[in-house]
Amino acid sequence: MTVETLLFKNINILPELFLGISLVYFVLHGTFLSVNKNFYLIQTSCIYLGILILGMASFLVFNDNLDVLEISIINNTINNDFLSLFSKITVGIISSFSLLMMYGYLNDQRINHFEYVLLILFSVLGLFLLCSSNDLLTAYLAIELQSLSFYVLASFKKNSTFSVDAGIKYFILGAFSSSLFLFGSSLIYGLTGSINFDDFNDLFFCVFPGSSLVFVNIKEYYENQDQSILLYALAEKLSTFNEKVLSESDALLLKSEIKNTNVFENSSLNFDKIITYNWIGVHTIQFFKNVQLDINTQLLTKEELDYLQNWVSFAEPAQEQILQVINLDFSPLTIKYGNMLSEKYSEVFSGWYFGIFSLLLASCVKLTDFQELELFDSSFDTNLLQFALVFLLISLFFKLAIAPFHLWSPDVYEGSPTSSTFFFAVVPKLAIFILLIRIFYYGFYGFIDSWRYFIVIIAILSIIVGSFGGLEQRKIKTLLAYSSISHMGYSLIAFNSGTLEGLQMLIGYLLIYTISGLCIWSIFILTRLKNPYVRKQNKDLTDIVSLGKTNKILAIFFAISLLSIAGFPPMIGFLVKIGLFLTAIESSMYFLALISILCSVVATFYYIRIIKIIYFEKTIVGKLYHPVTSQKGVVVVILSMLLLFLFVNPSLLFLLSYKVSLLILPSFVNPTL
Amino acid sequence: MIINFLFYFFSFSLLVSSLMVISVQNAVHSVLFLVLSFISSASLLFLLECEYIALLFIMIYVGAIAVLFLFVVMMLDTKTVNVKKDLLKYFPFGSLIGIIFSLEIFFLIGKNFKSNSYIDSVLFNFYTNWFDKLDTLTELESIGQVLYTHYVVQFLIAGNILLLSVIGAVSLTIKTTQSARKQVIFKQLSRTYKNVLIV
Repeated sequence: MTVETLLFKNINILPELFLGISLVYFVLHGTFLSVNKNFYLIQTSCIYLGILILGMASFLVFNDNLDVLEISIINNTINNDFLSLFSKITVGIISSFSLLMMYGYLNDQRINHFEYVLLILFSVLGLFLLCSSNDLLTAYLAIELQSLSFYVLASFKKNSTFSVDAGIKYFILGAFSSSLFLFGSSLIYGLTGSINFDDFNDLFFCVFPGSSLVFVNIKEYYENQDQSILLYALAEKLSTFNEKVLSESDALLLKSEIKNTNVFENSSLNFDKIITYNWIGVHTIQFFKNVQLDINTQLLTKEELDYLQNWVSFAEPAQEQILQVINLDFSPLTIKYGNMLSEKYSEVFSGWYFGIFSLLLASCVKLTDFQELELFDSSFDTNLLQFALVFLLISLFFKLAIAPFHLWSPDVYEGSPTSSTFFFAVVPKLAIFILLIRIFYYGFYGFIDSWRYFIVIIAILSIIVGSFGGLEQRKIKTLLAYSSISHMGYSLIAFNSGTLEGLQMLIGYLLIYTISGLCIWSIFILTRLKNPYVRKQNKDLTDIVSLGKTNKILAIFFAISLLSIAGFPPMIGFLVKIGLFLTAIESSMYFLALISILCSVVATFYYIRIIKIIYFEKTIVGKLYHPVTSQKGVVVVILSMLLLFLFVNPSLLFLLSYKVSLLILPSFVNPTL
Repeated sequence: MIINFLFYFFSFSLLVSSLMVISVQNAVHSVLFLVLSFISSASLLFLLECEYIALLFIMIYVGAIAVLFLFVVMMLDTKTVNVKKDLLKYFPFGSLIGIIFSLEIFFLIGKNFKSNSYIDSVLFNFYTNWFDKLDTLTELESIGQVLYTHYVVQFLIAGNILLLSVIGAVSLTIKTTQSARKQVIFKQLSRTYKNVLIV
C-alpha cells in the first residue's frame, strides 16, 4: 500500500480546499476593511462575498465528475460518492440562499462584524467535510468545526442576555454530546482496531443481525445448518491439525459423513461436493498422521480407519484433476476470499491446497446464502459494540435535537439571533443524517436489528413531543423548533426501516424538509416590522397578524410552505409524508405508522393556527412591514413554486433520491462488489 | 512485577483523585486534585511506553488547562456553598443510574476481553512472528510520519478548528464601539505626574 499524501491528484476535495483557503483570504479582507476608519458598513460586502464563495464552492462540487475508481480518497478517510456530492450541493445552495436572506435582519440588528459571515462559512466547510467523511475521526473533526461555529453564532449578539444564554447552553450540551461521540468511537476503536467505515462494512456485513444468533459453540451450528457448510467447517478444522480443537461431536459427524457418502457410486452428487469430500479426505490423511494414536483409541474403530484409508488412497490421485479444475474456475469472490485468507493459511496450505480452499469457499457461496460465511466471525461477541453504537446514536441525536435529547433546542432557537436560528434550523440536519446513514447503513448494517427498535421508541417520542409541545407556543421560533423536532422524528421512521425504499424516502424527506424550512424561515425573516420596537429580537405570533392584507403574496407563500410541511395534498410535503408512512407499513411497523399519522394531524393544528392569524384574525389595525427587495422575492417565489411544482411532477425528486440511495451501498445491493 | 505494582498504584491514585475532584468542597483543592489525576494518567501512559502522549498530557492539561482553572478559581472568589443539601436530593437517583450504567458496561467489557474471542473459531492459534511486528521507530517519529501523510486532511481540519476558535473567542470579547487603542507618542510624552490625575 502506498501512502497517499495531499497531492494535486487528489483534486476530489477541491471544493473543501477552495472553501478553506478562501476563508483565510476572507479573514484578511475583513480585517483590512474593518481597521479602516472610513468604511464602517462591512456587512454588505461580506455577505455578497460569502455568497460568491459558497456559489463557487457549489459550482466546483457540481463539476466533480465522480471518478468511480477514486470514490475513497486520502487513504479512505474521505468518501466522494454521489451521496456526498448531492448533499454538498444542497448544503451549499441552501446556505448561500440563507446568507442572502439574512442581510436585512443583520442590518436591523446592527450586527456589523465580518466574523458573522466568516463563522457561517466555517460551519459550511464543516458540513461539507461531514457529508463526505468516511471515518470516525474525520466525522468528529467536521462535527466540531460546524458546531463550534454554531456556538459562537448563537451568542453573537453580545448585548442581549438571551443570546449569550443560548450560546452557553448550546456550548455545554454540544460539548457533552461530542464527548459521548468520542467515548463511543474509542470503544469501537478498542474493539475493532479501526475507525474506517469501509473496514466496519467488511468486518460486520456478514454478521447475522442481532446478538441472539451469535453461536455459542459450533455444535449448535451443526444442528441448524446446511450439510455442505458443516463439511466445510469440519474440513477447515481439520486443516488446523490440532486435535484439541476437534471435539467429539466433530469426529462423530465426520464418521457419519464418511459412511453415508459414497463418492464413487453416487453420481447425483454435484461437483462441488465431490471436491469437498476429497478435500476432507486429504486433510484426514494428514490429520491421522499427526494424531493417529488418539484416534485409534478414542474416536475411530479399526474398521473405520481401514475404510477411511481406502477412501483416502483413492482420493489422492484425484488431486491432479482437482488442480486442473481449479485453474479454470476462479470467480471474483474466490479471489477476494482467497486473498483474505491467504495470509492466515499460507503455512497450512502449500500450492494447490489453497486453490481448493478458495474453490470450496466459492462453492459454499454458490450453494447457500452469502451470509453463511458468517462462520468466520460468528464467535465475536458484539454486545459491547452495540453499546458503543448507542453512544454514537445518542450523540448524533443530541445534535439533531430528537426527543429525549431535545431540551436545549427551543431555548437555543428562541434566544439566539434569528439569522443564526435560521441557519442552524435549516442547514445542518441533512449533513448529520448523512453521517448517520454512513455509520449505520454502510458501516454497521449487520447490527440493524439491535438498533432499530431502540430508534422506533425514540421516533415515537420525538413525534409526540414535537406535535404536542408546539400547541401552546406563542413565539414563532419556539414553535418552529418543535416542528423541527417532530420532523426529525418522521425522518427517523424512514431511517429505521432498513430498506432501500426507506433510505430513498429519508433522503427525499430531508430534501423537502430543508427546502420548505428555508422557505418558511426566509419569509419569517423577511417580515420586518416598521415599528418603533423594530429591534425586538423575538417575534410573537401576533407580529404577523393580518399579513394577508398588508402583503398578500408573501402571506400566500407562507401559507403554502406551512401547509407543505404539515402535509396537505397540493404540495410535495404530502407525497413525502405519505411515502414515509408507506415505508413504515411495508416494514410492518403498523403501530408506529398509526401513532405518527395521528400526531401529524395534531401538529397540523399549529400550522393552521399561524395561517388563521395571518388571514382571519379580527383586528382593527394590522402591522406595517418593510418591503421585500426583488432578489429575495425571486428566491422565495422559486422555493414556493418548487413545493407546488414537485407535487405535479414528483418523479424529479424520487429519481434523485432513488439514485442517491442506490449508490450509497454497493454492498447493500450486490454483495459481491 | 514492579511495573504491575506501579500500574495499580497509578490507577488507584487516578480513581481516588478524580473522585476527590467532584467531592471536595474547596474549589482550589478540587483543581489541585484535577492536576493530580492528570499526572497519574500521564504516568499510566508512561508505563505503557507512550512517552510522547504522556508528555503532551502533562504539558497541555497540567501546564495550560489546570493553571487556567486555578487562575479562574482564584479570581472568581467562589464561596464554599453547602452542597450537602443538593447531594441528598440528587445522590440516590444519580448514583442508581450511574451504578446500573457502569455495571452494565463493566459486565460487557469483562465478557469481551476475558478470553480470546476466536477460541472457538477455526481461525484460532496461528503462528505469528512477533519479532517482525515490533516497531523500531520512536513514538514521536511514527506520529509525525502518520500525521503528515495519512492524516494530512484531518491535520488541516484541526488547524481550521484552531483558527475558528481564535476568531470566535476574539469576536465574542472584542468591543467594537470603542475605537481601537492607539499609541499616541505625543500624548504619552506630554504626560507628567502633575496632570495625570486631571481627567
